[in-house]
Amino acid sequence: MTLFDVVFNGNDTVYGLTENAVDAAIAQHGADKAVGFPHTAYSLPCYYAVTGTKIEKLGDMKDALAVIKSLMTREKRLNDAFMSGVATALCAELIEALKYIDGATPYEEPCYGHLADAVIRELGVPLVTGDIPGVAVILGSAPSTEEAAALVKSYQAQGILVTLVGGIIDQVAEAGMKTGANVRVIPLGKDVTSVIHVVSVAVRAALIFGNVAPGDAAALMEYTFKRVPAFVNAFAPLDPVIVACGAGAIALGFPVITNEETFRVPKSLIVQKDVSKFNATSLEARDIKIKITNIDIPVAFASAFEGEIIRRGDMQVEFDGSRVDCCELVQTKEASEIEDHKITIVGPDVDEMELGSKNCIAYVVEVAGKNMQSDFEPVIERKFHNYINCIEGVYHTGQRDMQRIRISKDAFAAGFRLKHIGEVLYASVKNEFEAVVDKCQVTIYTDPEQCKHMRHEVAIPTFDKRDARLLSLTDESVDVYYSCILCQAFSPSHVCVVTPERLGLCGAVSWLDAKATNQLDPNGPCQVITKERLVDDRIGEYEDVNEAVKKFSQGALEEVSLYSIMEKPMTSCGCFECICGIEPFSNGVCITNREYAGMTPLGMTFPELASMTGGGVQTPGFMGHGKHFIASKKFMKAEGGIERIVWMPKALKEQVADRLNATAKELYGIDNFTDMIGDETIAEDPETLLAFLTEKNHPALSMEPMM
Amino acid sequence: MALKGLDIFKLSPKKNCKECGCPTCMAFSMKVASGAMELSKCPYFSEDALASLSEATAPPMKTIKVGTGDAEMSLGGETVLFRHEKTFVSKTRYAVAVCDCMDDAAIEERLSGAAKVDYERIGERMYAEMIYVNHGEEAKTDYVELVKKAAAVEGRVLILGVKDAELAKAALAVCKDSKPILNGADASNYEAMNAVATEAGVVLGVSGKDANEIYDTVAALEKLGNKNLVIDCGTSSVKEAYAIAVQFRRAAIKDGDRTCGYPTIVNAAVLAHGDKHMQAALASLFTMKYGSIVVVEQMDYATALPLYGLRQNIFTDPQKPMKVEPGIYPINGGDENSICLTTVDFALTYFVVSGELERSGVPCNLIINDAGGLSVLTSWAAGKFSSSSIAKFFEEQDIAGKIKNRKLVLPGKVAVLKGDLEAKMPGWEIIVGPKEAVQLVKFLKDMQG
Amino acid sequence: MPFNAKSGKFSASINTVEIGCGDKKITIGGENVLPFYTFDAPVENAPKVGVEITDFGLENEPECIKKYYEGCETVVDMAKKAASFEGVDFLSFRMEGGDPNGANKSTDELIAMLKEIAAAVDIPLVVCGCKHVEKDAELLAKAAEAVEGKNAVILAAREENYKNVGAAAGLAYKQLVGAESSVDINLAKQLNVLLTQLGVDGKSILMNVGSASAGYGFEYVVSTMDRVKAAALSQGDTTLQMPIITPVASETWGVKEAVASEADMPEWGNQEERGIDMEVETAAAVLAAGSNAVILKHPESIKTISKMIKELM
Repeated sequence: MTLFDVVFNGNDTVYGLTENAVDAAIAQHGADKAVGFPHTAYSLPCYYAVTGTKIEKLGDMKDALAVIKSLMTREKRLNDAFMSGVATALCAELIEALKYIDGATPYEEPCYGHLADAVIRELGVPLVTGDIPGVAVILGSAPSTEEAAALVKSYQAQGILVTLVGGIIDQVAEAGMKTGANVRVIPLGKDVTSVIHVVSVAVRAALIFGNVAPGDAAALMEYTFKRVPAFVNAFAPLDPVIVACGAGAIALGFPVITNEETFRVPKSLIVQKDVSKFNATSLEARDIKIKITNIDIPVAFASAFEGEIIRRGDMQVEFDGSRVDCCELVQTKEASEIEDHKITIVGPDVDEMELGSKNCIAYVVEVAGKNMQSDFEPVIERKFHNYINCIEGVYHTGQRDMQRIRISKDAFAAGFRLKHIGEVLYASVKNEFEAVVDKCQVTIYTDPEQCKHMRHEVAIPTFDKRDARLLSLTDESVDVYYSCILCQAFSPSHVCVVTPERLGLCGAVSWLDAKATNQLDPNGPCQVITKERLVDDRIGEYEDVNEAVKKFSQGALEEVSLYSIMEKPMTSCGCFECICGIEPFSNGVCITNREYAGMTPLGMTFPELASMTGGGVQTPGFMGHGKHFIASKKFMKAEGGIERIVWMPKALKEQVADRLNATAKELYGIDNFTDMIGDETIAEDPETLLAFLTEKNHPALSMEPMM
Repeated sequence: MALKGLDIFKLSPKKNCKECGCPTCMAFSMKVASGAMELSKCPYFSEDALASLSEATAPPMKTIKVGTGDAEMSLGGETVLFRHEKTFVSKTRYAVAVCDCMDDAAIEERLSGAAKVDYERIGERMYAEMIYVNHGEEAKTDYVELVKKAAAVEGRVLILGVKDAELAKAALAVCKDSKPILNGADASNYEAMNAVATEAGVVLGVSGKDANEIYDTVAALEKLGNKNLVIDCGTSSVKEAYAIAVQFRRAAIKDGDRTCGYPTIVNAAVLAHGDKHMQAALASLFTMKYGSIVVVEQMDYATALPLYGLRQNIFTDPQKPMKVEPGIYPINGGDENSICLTTVDFALTYFVVSGELERSGVPCNLIINDAGGLSVLTSWAAGKFSSSSIAKFFEEQDIAGKIKNRKLVLPGKVAVLKGDLEAKMPGWEIIVGPKEAVQLVKFLKDMQG
Repeated sequence: MPFNAKSGKFSASINTVEIGCGDKKITIGGENVLPFYTFDAPVENAPKVGVEITDFGLENEPECIKKYYEGCETVVDMAKKAASFEGVDFLSFRMEGGDPNGANKSTDELIAMLKEIAAAVDIPLVVCGCKHVEKDAELLAKAAEAVEGKNAVILAAREENYKNVGAAAGLAYKQLVGAESSVDINLAKQLNVLLTQLGVDGKSILMNVGSASAGYGFEYVVSTMDRVKAAALSQGDTTLQMPIITPVASETWGVKEAVASEADMPEWGNQEERGIDMEVETAAAVLAAGSNAVILKHPESIKTISKMIKELM
């Protein structure tokens, strides 16, 4: 027998039962007898939502049965199985409705049966907000009372709404657990058909909260799939009726997890023999993430402790990457390789270390997620400093394999141990990077051999690979750029276009940062800009970029080029690290930076230049940019590139010399290019500068005129 | 479209002679483009260059100067319609009104009241800068005498509301040296009034029954060579005055119609005669939308406090946040034994923080650092609000000598400074405060409790 | 040659939103021009003026407000009285006492009061929270339920609690959702996007883009509103075409210029006059910047602003 056969059989059985029940009721009450559930404006909600028709009297049920029959096609295709599942559910609703005939109250404490609209409105809000992160539907009897109670409690602890159908109701009562809407454990009824009352909740949520039109079955299923985070836990033994109901659940987007060895349908019908793992399997299958509100550590965790410094005398132990082997690392793994919230310590803990000693530490945070990309690893890693520093009595500086951590005597006395670092990293990463991290586990090594291995064999090669990737990232090698409008509060019409080779002009937002920001906060300041419609390769102008800039500047800016300072240059806000401006007498550009207060050969100081080029206005010949951009091959590429640089403040020149010289060597074969560039010790006026440049035979002097 | 600095530079002499006061021709060109300097400051532009540039660099709206000496002020000269585009240039000025149709006592009261409101707010003097001296239909007193009285009020610019050329001439005879405005030209008398105003060398105000008439009269006056004008938005209705103020400003700046490019006078004293609160509302409305001068019957503190605050807010550089003076600000009777809280000199931060501290009722000292007028996080990121800058500021200002209390609350957003501050300011107990000002009340209460 | 004024009419317009129900319902928005630019195109719906009362009744009100409510024993009495002031288009009830850092009144207590008020007045209602985001999440969700069928404005959903407030007000009980952000066009836009993603109909959102008293960083309010209107009208940005509602009274009646007693500041003169002018001038300025509705407190301010709006229309 195939799964299809089981579903079809179950469906046929239920249909037969329903037909009989309806006929019997009509025989007893007549076709005009009113039917319906109490306290709802949606008649028989499931039937109404799927078909758009309200059932008001027994006679209507006959018509309904004919409609249901039309769903029960018998091709062995997935859709037929789903529709049979839906048909089974609708039959169950008819059977349940019959129980309420004549204002009967078929359900008694503790069972609820049908739930009123008011309850849906009340439960609907926390469901929409995520305060109720999921809805568990538990069917049948667990292998033991203990397992039943443990499973229900595990969901309860996560804030998940639990509905119970069948034997588990008695098991939960036996375990002495309280039930009821107030504790979010709702026993529905002992018949399998009573499961329809939770389906009815999902369906009415779609009608009320999703504005789904009754009769629009496709919209209904899309809503329940996307917005109702429900799943089914069905205990063995499964009979065909339960399987058919399960098909209905799957049709609505709710996966079924069972401990019976049966057919498997990826992501929909999942076999998990170990009942203690139902919770984890269900959450993963339905993609439910539980917000961590409380980090379980013996000291406080708050940004107020970020600036705390632990002095040597107050220190219990320290870890120092500059002396011994240390590292901190994020690694992306497959979901199956990670056990969420597992924290492993390899090596001695703090209480096994000598007071005041210097130790090795290597912590590896392994993460998995559908949206996780290895490019986000350094972005997450950079936050470790902040996370660990927020722990009261713990101090952290540095990064990669050069970090230093101190744990204070007070924190140690309060019971702080290594696993608490793991707890903090776990909780912070899960919370802050919720959009990309689904699962996370932390391993902390203090064993010197292990640390040495982790540092040299794992971490350093990873860092090297990342650095290589950063270097190889070029504007041409990526498909999209990003906008950044973080500073629009100050500079309303300014939009930064961030590319791999041109970071934001504040110097703080690289292409990878912008990409991560976009993933983590899809409505935030960084948006994807495509670069498909090239207008002019020389100056780097794209139609798509222009459209984006126009949109994000609210129309203030129509066209920008990425690589030219003379033609449609990118605008500047006010946060730029540097400004470069054209120096007409030497045919080049001068760059000055925020820290340099003196005069430039342009005849203007940084503040004067800033006031004229800032504010999101295009000022040909002048442009704000980040320090890092100076050595970029894209730096005013349209006008000839970095060869045009004729002057920089000495301190800035020294800061960028290595990279700038390397680029100059690569592009033009010039050695020690910075020696040809003037600074304030050489000239602060154009005439002296020109004399210097002539003496040095600066390449800009023989280039095409810029104007 | 305004010219870019480079376009001007291309036509410049490129000799870096520095005669204009700028070190280079490039710097000069940039300044001209931004409107900070006039092209005429350079003697070396060629005739052709001048001709092609002067039209383009001339501002869309004239800058009109009135008053003399300390009381000299500029009106108009705006280049944009919205403050987020670029800083508005000339703030709205306010005038109080007197009329020869009033009796002496009332006139006395108005004139003495005119000088009453005079205070400083964040470095700016706040007062009614002008007096509107109206010639009414049923004069109870001699107009020229009234002008003399008004002129006697120290440091105010007069606006003479008179349409009779002879009377205007007589009035100007007693006050023209102080460069008043003669608001009296209309379609019927503009030639005569033009002669009077030109002879006296004063600005002429133009009114009319509607926008078209004003426009035509201005055009006619321009033809006579007078471009030293202001436009009276009229007194027929608030709606009409608003329409003229907005449409003329927009036509000048957006459509480049220079005939519209003059400052405006809005006479709220007439538009809402006798209704003080409506005058306050209109003063605010026209400060927002394009009134260069707003006339009210009188300026008391009730009207002035919000109005001058509003004006100070509107006429600021959108990229340069307003600053308050760094120093110690005792709050709720704070003295040398009261707790200290510190933050930055960004005006908005100061207002929000001091407001919350006042609300707490706890005596304290708010210590405002010199942080370049930036917000807490921005100044921190820019290195202008760091442990060293705070420590240095405390030393320079001798805070420890002035205040005995050694508790210092730090904004929660810069909690990261705590350790460094403790090291740099021994003896002080550094306490991390809340991240948002609104939490200060609770924070201070909890601290006391 | 006559003055040739070019029209500043836009092809896009601000959403038209009805508030309240029955005869007294009001309509705001719908214009395709900048504020009061009736010379560019007719403005169908004049901005509206609301009167604010709070759950504290007269307890915290200055004398100059109290006198207008003479004879009122309860907040409900006040609501009825407030609804009768000249120029009032709607009533705003602010549940200030809910703030856990303040009086920390229970949700039940405040909701009971709200229900009484809703039953007692027939003009449109704006229900404001206590500004504490967690408490408002609960309080405003309950408020949305309590005034079901009233088509009230629930002010406001903020970025921190938009899901709770938005789901209850916009989805479960079909009220109008106020979206509050703090003086930044991008934050305003983001919140509108988030609310619509939640399922709230953009046509049932009003924005409070932030407010301040004149003189207190008011330039941010002006520039935010200027830019929001520019984006909505000239760029046709549908995520910013929601009408703007601005609570003015709660800002202005807290600054020292308005509340300092004459005894403390003798040279400033009469305190009531200062309070009124601060409110009037701030309201006039936010209307000039683009607010479609303002919430005021002093009857004299309401009368003045209402009159100014009429004169401009």
